[in-house]
Amino acid sequence: MLVDRYGLAARRVARAVLGPGDDADDAVQDGMIAAWRALDRFDSARSFRPWLMRIVANASLDLLRRRKVRRATAVPETIASGGIPPDRAAEGSLVRDRLKGALLQLPERQRVAVVLFDAEGYSHAEIAGILGVPEGTVRSYVFHARRTLRGALSEFKEDA
Amino acid sequence: MTEPVSFESSPDAELGARLRSALDGPEPEQFLARVRGAVRASGRETTWDVLARWAPAGLVAAAAAAALFWLLLGPAAVPDPATQLIASAPARMDIAPGQAEADVLVSTLMEGR
Repeated sequence: MLVDRYGLAARRVARAVLGPGDDADDAVQDGMIAAWRALDRFDSARSFRPWLMRIVANASLDLLRRRKVRRATAVPETIASGGIPPDRAAEGSLVRDRLKGALLQLPERQRVAVVLFDAEGYSHAEIAGILGVPEGTVRSYVFHARRTLRGALSEFKEDA
Repeated sequence: MTEPVSFESSPDAELGARLRSALDGPEPEQFLARVRGAVRASGRETTWDVLARWAPAGLVAAAAAAALFWLLLGPAAVPDPATQLIASAPARMDIAPGQAEADVLVSTLMEGR
């Protein structure tokens, strides 16, 4: 079933747009229901995965606009100050937190683009179809998003 | 002078793995079960569901159309027995192996009348 196959990837995209929390899960649920109801209208000559992800991404962006989600994007003090505690076991968690914080600083379309491209393996053309923008714009989104995210992660790399 | 922006065309595997790790939500199985349940409860109509809902009305309409057709065209559509007999007679072609004689041809033609 489409939920089992695409649910977790869709959740990551929704969380990239809306941040962690129930809003992202609600957006995935809304998107999956919308896709399920629209299955009859799906053009089988086209690829299914980008079609589904477009619905989920739009559901997430709609929810973001509708509810005017203002997630706390403040990075915890320990991370913002750049101090890396000696406990290496906690580092993975710190990297994740830093990455989440950096991700939420990005414009929402850059977030979606970089997550779809680097984390989910979509092509620039597919992402262009999902976001409804030219392919060159997607390349630009990914480029700028990567620069921000790599910058946020650089100190962890240097330390390693 | 501005430096040209170079776009990498292949995914960054390391960044991708870190992003997935950062964005994976808690309790994935529970989440999937919840969405599965919601989708199931949403009750999408299949083509057959739509057809099934329309079936009684369709049958009534088809019966009414058939009755009307019969009333308007039924008697006229049934041919009289003589016409039916002629229509059912097989077409026949006589081919003479040799040169046909005139009296045979005439008698054949007369038989048809």
